[in-house]
Amino acid sequence: MTELFVVITVIAVALVFDYTNGFHDSANAMAGPIATGALRPRTAVILAAILNLVGACLATEVAKTISGGFFDETLITVPIILAGLVGAIIWNLMTWLLGLPSSSSHALFGGLIGAVIVGAGLTSVHGWVIVSKVLLPAIVAPLVAGIAAVMATRLVYRISRRTPSAHTNSGYKYGQAFTASLVALAHGTSDGQKTMGVITLVLIAANLQEAGTGPQWWVIIAAGIAIGLGTYSGGWRIMRTMGKGIVEIETPQGAASGAATTATILASAHFGFGLSTTHVSTGSILGSGVGREGAEVRWSVARRMLFAWLLTLPGAALVAGLAALLSDQGVLGVIALLMLLGVACLVIYLLSRRHRVSHANVTDSHEVLVLAAAAPPTTYPNDPRLDSPKPKKAKKAKKAKAKSAA
Amino acid sequence: MNIDWAALGIVAVVSIVSSVIFTILLASGIRLVSAAKIKSNQGSSSATTVSLGYVLLGLAGLLVLFGIYLIIPQFH
Repeated sequence: MTELFVVITVIAVALVFDYTNGFHDSANAMAGPIATGALRPRTAVILAAILNLVGACLATEVAKTISGGFFDETLITVPIILAGLVGAIIWNLMTWLLGLPSSSSHALFGGLIGAVIVGAGLTSVHGWVIVSKVLLPAIVAPLVAGIAAVMATRLVYRISRRTPSAHTNSGYKYGQAFTASLVALAHGTSDGQKTMGVITLVLIAANLQEAGTGPQWWVIIAAGIAIGLGTYSGGWRIMRTMGKGIVEIETPQGAASGAATTATILASAHFGFGLSTTHVSTGSILGSGVGREGAEVRWSVARRMLFAWLLTLPGAALVAGLAALLSDQGVLGVIALLMLLGVACLVIYLLSRRHRVSHANVTDSHEVLVLAAAAPPTTYPNDPRLDSPKPKKAKKAKKAKAKSAA
Repeated sequence: MNIDWAALGIVAVVSIVSSVIFTILLASGIRLVSAAKIKSNQGSSSATTVSLGYVLLGLAGLLVLFGIYLIIPQFH
């Protein structure tokens, strides 16, 4: 009975992680098209959500291991998975609050590593794997995607130098929408699997499923829906940083960075050198800014992101390590951990409400604020939430004028 | 250290080359179609330019289809 309770808990928490995974990575595909206006914000997230769901349902070949080679797979127990998930969820929410894109896979690996360290000691973790699978890709991904985007952006502007922009924009917007859709679909096939793998492992560990079998149909559907709902919710804070915070994206530039993102993600998936979707899309947006003459790249934002990437694994590991101390203490510990997770989610959510970013105001500013003290609220001049009646009145006045003129 | 440098190199080259090819196809196609529009507005014939433009855009579309083929595991 208690075992069943723990299993159900872990499945629920895994689906919550899948949801955070979705909204954290929504921006990877759709920040560019939203920033250039190739897709309207709502349309973009609905499209990305459907493609993520479809992608998750297509990917039935689930990775049999979730350790990623970071530690011995046999060390994984149900309490460790639970603690790892809690660490990853909290890290994802904190970076979302700050509007920083960071890799959800790194958060999950970090969480599991932290929980394993608490359970089995520091020596159980293979340090060099962290270098080759986390540090190196975190440098390579933005570099490769960035170089591709610089070259693509230069070419786009050179080729269409003499073409009137009225003729080019709709074409580039189509190009951008198609490449972004490919990224969303690829994301569903790769990240949907992670949660399915975790749930399947838990079911096998609890003897509710035979070892060596694939995920059950309801696991595939539940994971697909969780990641789709997360994507639909948009993660607008991260969307703003990626679409507006790093550099102002023009339409041709958006098409070039979209092409670079898609090409790099597909190549890395196909040739077996795993790169994080987040790092790749950030790199191409950055590269498209470097490649366009006169574009002002905010390197301070890029630097903050890099720090967030490097901190993701240890940060999630730390939270998960603390969580592992509780999840090991039987049912009471699990209940206490769940309550703490709920409180943490609530606090982060309430903090995010103070300077809310939504589909309505995502492209209005380039800053994601957390605390009121960080900057005066006047940084949101077009924010419809700041119920200042002025703009409305102005519109009405214009209408009245138009009427009287007629 | 067990780093797959060969895979890394291939990923880098393929990513850069394919994004450059896609953008050249897209941008040139758009440019030719636009040039054809301008020509026909001026009254001269533009059939070759416009068809070449659409061929390039079609090739860019084929690259997108190839991307879908790569993503969907059931295809290979």
